[in-house]
Amino acid sequence: MAVIELENVTKTFGSTIAVNDLSLSVPQGSIYGFIGPNGSGKTTTLRMIMNIFYPDKGSIRVFGEEVHGACTYRIGYLPEERGLYKNMKVREVLKFYGGLKSGKDVSSEVERWLERLDLSDWANKKVHSLSKGMSQKVQFIASVVSQPELLILDEPFTGLDPVNADILRTAVLDLQSKGTTVIFSTHDMSVAERMCDFIFMIFKGRKVLNGTLASIQDEYGYDTIRIRTGDGASVLKDLRGVEKINDFGQVQELRITRDCDPHQVLTEIMKKTRINSFEISKPSLHDIFLRIAGPEAREVNDA
Amino acid sequence: MRKVIWLARREYKAAVRTKGFIIGLVLAPILMGGSAIGMALFKDRVDTTDQRLAIVDRSGLVAEALVEAAEERNATNVFDKETGEKIRPAYEIEIVEPDAANPMAQRLELSNGVRDGQLHAFVEIGPSVLHPGEDPEGYRIAYYSKNAALDDLRRWLVRPINNNLRRQRLAGAGIDESAVKDLFTWVDVEGFGLVAVDPETGEVLDARQSHEGEAVGIPLIMTMLMFLMIMMGAVPLLQSVMEEKSQRIAEVLLGSIKPFQFMMGKLLGGVAVSLTSAAVYVIGGIIALRHMGLGEYIPYHLIPWFFAFMLLAIVMIGSMLAALGATCNDTKEAQSLTLPAMLPVLLPMFVLVPVVEAPLAPFATGLSLFPLFTPMLMLLRLSTPAGVPVWQPWIGLVGILLFTLFFVWAGGRIFRVAILMQGTPPRLSNILRWALRG
Repeated sequence: MAVIELENVTKTFGSTIAVNDLSLSVPQGSIYGFIGPNGSGKTTTLRMIMNIFYPDKGSIRVFGEEVHGACTYRIGYLPEERGLYKNMKVREVLKFYGGLKSGKDVSSEVERWLERLDLSDWANKKVHSLSKGMSQKVQFIASVVSQPELLILDEPFTGLDPVNADILRTAVLDLQSKGTTVIFSTHDMSVAERMCDFIFMIFKGRKVLNGTLASIQDEYGYDTIRIRTGDGASVLKDLRGVEKINDFGQVQELRITRDCDPHQVLTEIMKKTRINSFEISKPSLHDIFLRIAGPEAREVNDA
Repeated sequence: MRKVIWLARREYKAAVRTKGFIIGLVLAPILMGGSAIGMALFKDRVDTTDQRLAIVDRSGLVAEALVEAAEERNATNVFDKETGEKIRPAYEIEIVEPDAANPMAQRLELSNGVRDGQLHAFVEIGPSVLHPGEDPEGYRIAYYSKNAALDDLRRWLVRPINNNLRRQRLAGAGIDESAVKDLFTWVDVEGFGLVAVDPETGEVLDARQSHEGEAVGIPLIMTMLMFLMIMMGAVPLLQSVMEEKSQRIAEVLLGSIKPFQFMMGKLLGGVAVSLTSAAVYVIGGIIALRHMGLGEYIPYHLIPWFFAFMLLAIVMIGSMLAALGATCNDTKEAQSLTLPAMLPVLLPMFVLVPVVEAPLAPFATGLSLFPLFTPMLMLLRLSTPAGVPVWQPWIGLVGILLFTLFFVWAGGRIFRVAILMQGTPPRLSNILRWALRG
């Protein structure tokens, strides 16, 4: 069953089309990743699902019902910009947000999450005394203490150190294992690759990718050689059949044309330098993102 | 409704728990009534230094009598009869021969005497003061001092000079003063209300004596209290909504509640804050007045009107302020909107005096029936001893109710659009567009 269904949704702000004829279906219990460049319409889409913005055209159904009212107690929401009352204590603010959402006493959930995210010692401190990362964890707890069935997280991992990002990632996966449907937007392609059952990419308000990572990668096929050589990127220039080189310093990614045999490319490289390691693979999500929204693609689009 | 109350509860706690609220609760009436209290406390603190007055009597008829009157006053009014303490300055009159040749030089010399501190003032009596003719210069009594307008000695001079002149006019007409013993007895006009019939017993009730305190004090106190309550309950909403918008709290809240519920929660919080303060002031005021034996002056019949007008005023003005707060992106924008937004509360303050003096005049009636001004001006008129026709406060109430509904509707529409809109300045054209189109 689909928890969220968007049908031909369009939203404009003045003369700007933020979201253009978007359709999407989010299955229950899945983790759905929203990717796309800044200003592509991710947040607008999430806000429309929350019914904070109203679509100009199309319909949005959440839990099978047309969205009316701000949103129900069944949805938890972590907005992109964190918003906490600075003069309230951590525990108070969490109880306030949880109570506002669910109408129930969420004290035990608050305590459980504070302990789980290692914030128990900060429960009686005022929000303004927290670091940015801590505030983000508090905001995350605020979105889950009401035990929502659907969790919408707008860039939940931005600004977190690896330890805290990992804690949050585990928490999200744990919620999913208990049946919560999770949608999150991110700029971190590796997080999307590792966590998401489905990936959805929006660019200039339009849907450009939607499906599992495997199905998206299948569209491109094995067109990538990931290689580590003795001489780095300098020897990889001007190879026949190589469309583009992504140089990551120690590793280079070569995108090869459809009619080219990867073995020919490797043979040519071996003539120039020593190959330490190589892998012939489908393109990474990062590369796919750049192919769609990178400067090259923009030049093509703008032409 | 549960969510509205939940939000209002937080707003209320956040406002009431602060030290600022407690201090404000105590300080606001002190600051507002401070001058009145100060005047009452310090009214007996007069300068008791003796005052020397030079008199240049060009009529030759007044000076001697004035010296006598001053001596009589000094003997009876300067010292407290029971304690013997000096409570007023003694007046010392010095007669100066008029300089007919050069009066200006004499005035300058006497003025310098005042400047040097040898004199408190000098007074010049015109030559034809006994029978004033056509020329005002001829009968003028001119008093010269550093602060002549507010001078007790000048005020004192009026009666002894005029009594003496009357005495001389009678003598000139050949009437024996002693034949009319109470010739100079002065009787004041006392103010009373109207005689009425007791609705329960049918008995005709005596009219109550009218006091300035009752006629001006009570209406002004009630209106100031209304002003204070609106300032406490409604005006902070502009800043507070702007802060919640700029700190992105608004979006988190909108994940749980509708914009209209958000606005209503803020309003209800403001109403609760004002109700708390009003309850403290009203109950405290009643207890204090009864304790002081002034219970009969407590306008109990006004209390329901006060609360009805107050609640609606806060919702009416507060909804507009909350909506304006939602249109602001930063403190600077909020500050620039605060003054125009407060005009419905400030404008009535400028017309308090004409309204309290003539509460039944068309000017007062008209203004008090304009819904934005009704809470303050209708209450002011209701508080005056004259009262207002029974239908007027009800019409006023209906007017505020309609305005409140309109403001909440329009405010809600502006609020909904503006609360998540970043970077768009609060221009009038934008605000009107959001109100009309939603």
